[in-house]
Amino acid sequence: MIQLKNIEKVYRTDTVETQALNNISLQVEKGEFLSIMGPSGCGKSTLLNLMGLLDAPSKGDVIIDSQQTLQLNDRKLAHFRNSKIGFIFQSYHLINDLQVVDNVELPLLYRNSSAKERRTLALEALEKVGLSNRVKHFPTQLSGGQKQRVAIARAIVGKPEIILADEPTGNLDSAMGNEIMNILLELNRIDGTTIVMVTHDPNMAQRTHRLLRLFDGSQVQ
Amino acid sequence: MLKHLFKLIWNKKKENFLLISEVLISFMVIFAVFTLLVHNYRNYKLPRGFDYEQVWSVSLGDLGESKDKDSVGLMHENLRNALKSLPQIKELSFTSSNVPFSSSMYRTRVSYKGKELNTDIYRTEMSYKEVLQMQLVSGRWFSAEDNASAKKSLIIDKCGKEQLFGSGEAIGKMISLDGEEQKVIGVVESFKDKSDFKAPEPAIFTRIDTGNIKNIANILIRVTAGADATFEGKVYKLIASTMKSSNLEIKHLSDLRSSKNKETTIPMIIFFIVAGFLIFNVALGIFGVLWYNINKRRGEIGLRRAIGATASSVSGQLVGEAVVLATFSLIIGSFFAIQFPLLNVFDLPASVYLTAQFLAIVFIYLLVILCALYPGKQAAAIYPAVALHEE
Repeated sequence: MIQLKNIEKVYRTDTVETQALNNISLQVEKGEFLSIMGPSGCGKSTLLNLMGLLDAPSKGDVIIDSQQTLQLNDRKLAHFRNSKIGFIFQSYHLINDLQVVDNVELPLLYRNSSAKERRTLALEALEKVGLSNRVKHFPTQLSGGQKQRVAIARAIVGKPEIILADEPTGNLDSAMGNEIMNILLELNRIDGTTIVMVTHDPNMAQRTHRLLRLFDGSQVQ
Repeated sequence: MLKHLFKLIWNKKKENFLLISEVLISFMVIFAVFTLLVHNYRNYKLPRGFDYEQVWSVSLGDLGESKDKDSVGLMHENLRNALKSLPQIKELSFTSSNVPFSSSMYRTRVSYKGKELNTDIYRTEMSYKEVLQMQLVSGRWFSAEDNASAKKSLIIDKCGKEQLFGSGEAIGKMISLDGEEQKVIGVVESFKDKSDFKAPEPAIFTRIDTGNIKNIANILIRVTAGADATFEGKVYKLIASTMKSSNLEIKHLSDLRSSKNKETTIPMIIFFIVAGFLIFNVALGIFGVLWYNINKRRGEIGLRRAIGATASSVSGQLVGEAVVLATFSLIIGSFFAIQFPLLNVFDLPASVYLTAQFLAIVFIYLLVILCALYPGKQAAAIYPAVALHEE
């Protein structure tokens, strides 16, 4: 599903050159749940950004669903992200001025879907994460766990084949973290969604199919 | 997407209140500017009804009271003959002092079948029409046949005719002027003589009565194109030697016109400059707020890019939000602006207000779009991978 070939990522400023990723090759199979671990600054998020086509590698290829992505223009990349990938972030990135249901509908705004269809799909997604009773709430009225569930609903509303989660339980206590993890596992098991998750928590990583460890931008396991 | 933008702005209405107010105030100022512009432009485009080029106005000054009307009449006749003997003078007419573009004004009230009309009144001669090359709409100008007429004759301009007779015929109708019934013998084109920017007002032209030549203190002279300052001096000397007036003055109608026009244009320019400064400040305000919003919303912009927004749609969204914001202001502003034609404020035609409102709306949208373009471009340039990890 996701194939990375000899990936290198270098950040350059006028004076400093930082090697964020060094010769990473990786294959994530369809329906796989992969976790990525490593110390802070080792390149986990950079790797996830490359998989999510939010960033381009300095060297190497990113192939998603058999599609070479490096040549895609901004419009095609945006379409690719919208249709194939769902994102979950540690800090949720919900829009506080929009109700829960409107937040969940957001990815569908960039598709040709009707308002009615958007609303139906958003309500379905919220039902799936157990937040049907918080549809009209604003994010500021929710707990951390609920916010993350809204973020998951937003990630799955477009029925993407891949979910990229960047420390989804990082801001939550262990009980809430487990709840979120259970939802992700269920999405992987029932819907067959391919999930790549960056985490610092070994207990969460243990529950996934495979663990990738990074250290100083290189793959160590 | 539009509904989404409306929802987003509506949910942030408290934050956007100041910006909405700022755009609203700008709209009202621009509406006033355009109302003034449209009103003046419309008046400017109206036909003047006469030609002022190559026409001089000679003010004879205070001639004193003469008990002997015949001798004054004789003096006028002698002067006329002397002036007309000059080849550079095409035509001339004695007239009351309210010559076109002067500050002098004679007003009177006429009535027809109980309908009253306040009007300017001009005392003229048979040659007045030729001097000012006035355009006759119907009927005729004064002629020798009026000498034998039992009833006095008068001529009305189109503007006065429409107010007094509507679409009906005016020629032959008797109207009451100073308690005397006078016959309308002609209708001339509306006489726009106050300024190019002032709408024509009703005007009535009567013939100078040789038995009452009081206030006939001006001569209008149409000269040939070659009449220069030397010739003007010659005319001055000729009149001065005949009239013995202490304060004789010759002015060109073209100079009087430009001086009258300045009475409108100078305050208008000052108003535009003040409005321009205000709009410039508002533009800076909108620009600043949008710029600040973008920096505050980097995470949201990053998210939108991650979930499928292209750079251009992010930029378009920012511009769209500014347009939606302006729309809120314009809805409120239009409510106030529409009261002007409804309540007939300042007695201007409704079409002036409606045109000004339309132009003000277009102007505000253009201003807002212009102010949002650069911040929108900056938003599109935000790197999603970076923006998503800033919070």
